[in-house]
Amino acid sequence: MSALKLFHWLAQTHIAIAMRDSTWAFAIVEIGHLIALAIFGGAILLLDLRLLGFAFTAQPAPRVAREFLSITVAGVIVMFLTGSLLLASGPMRYYYNTPFRIKMWLFFIASLFHFTLQIKVARQNPQQDHSSPGRKAAGAISLLLWLSIGVAGRAIGYF
Amino acid sequence: MPYLYHICQWIYGTWLSTSIRESTWVFPIIESIHTLGIVLVVGTVAVFDLRLLGVIMKREPVSRVAHQVLPWTWTGFAVMFITGLLLSIAESATNYHNIAFRVKLLLLLLAGLNPLIFHLTIYRSVNTWDVANVTPVRARAAATCSIVLWTGIIIAGRMIAYLH
Repeated sequence: MSALKLFHWLAQTHIAIAMRDSTWAFAIVEIGHLIALAIFGGAILLLDLRLLGFAFTAQPAPRVAREFLSITVAGVIVMFLTGSLLLASGPMRYYYNTPFRIKMWLFFIASLFHFTLQIKVARQNPQQDHSSPGRKAAGAISLLLWLSIGVAGRAIGYF
Repeated sequence: MPYLYHICQWIYGTWLSTSIRESTWVFPIIESIHTLGIVLVVGTVAVFDLRLLGVIMKREPVSRVAHQVLPWTWTGFAVMFITGLLLSIAESATNYHNIAFRVKLLLLLLAGLNPLIFHLTIYRSVNTWDVANVTPVRARAAATCSIVLWTGIIIAGRMIAYLH
């Protein structure tokens, strides 16, 4: 099934119609999306800053990665669900929106990259933890990917 | 308070206010940086609150989590405050009447008082419960208040634009 067909189907679902008909549904779901972003984004920032050696330096990186896994996983799930509802409110408007397309590609890449990285670091031995240039570079890439998603997300409303 | 409204109107007419408001890109750029500041504040505050509530980092001493998170909370706060001030200047006369804006300012005041009370009272005896899995009731109450207040600030903040 092509993305266009998927979006056409989404526009006709009950939940999409309910989102369109309601005055406040979009605002409420969007606020939920933002609350999840604040908590998820904060954990991501702290974790990536830890990998870069700027934050949480008293704890070994594997422990920080492990402790934050529940926040980042829960955050990404809530953002995906609320984001899907926002998309359902007007799929065709988003289909032709360039920042939206960029955001979705970046989200796919960032999720894959970040969670591979976080799980890999979380599995390392916290007793023998030492930083490496590779880990720092990975932290910087993760940070830049998530920041660019934020910029693309904000731009959706302006195009 | 018509006097305060006159001040808001005067600010609204200044060069700074007009140029932010009437530019195509400056307003959304400041707004994006403001959001990033909020993410840093709320995210780091949430990490500390979740430690107090015993959800994450249970094996880390509370004071050590606080020491490492606080510099980033303050960095985020500075970013949030400066950009928030610029946005308020740009919309001063319209924000004056905006109920969501008023609620947000009130919640911000309460969100600021909460850690102040926390640090002056229960946190003074942190040595006795620093490594505790379950922190004292008053510490958990402060953490819950903090999460509720910051959630309210995000809701009120987003509502400013909807009630415009």
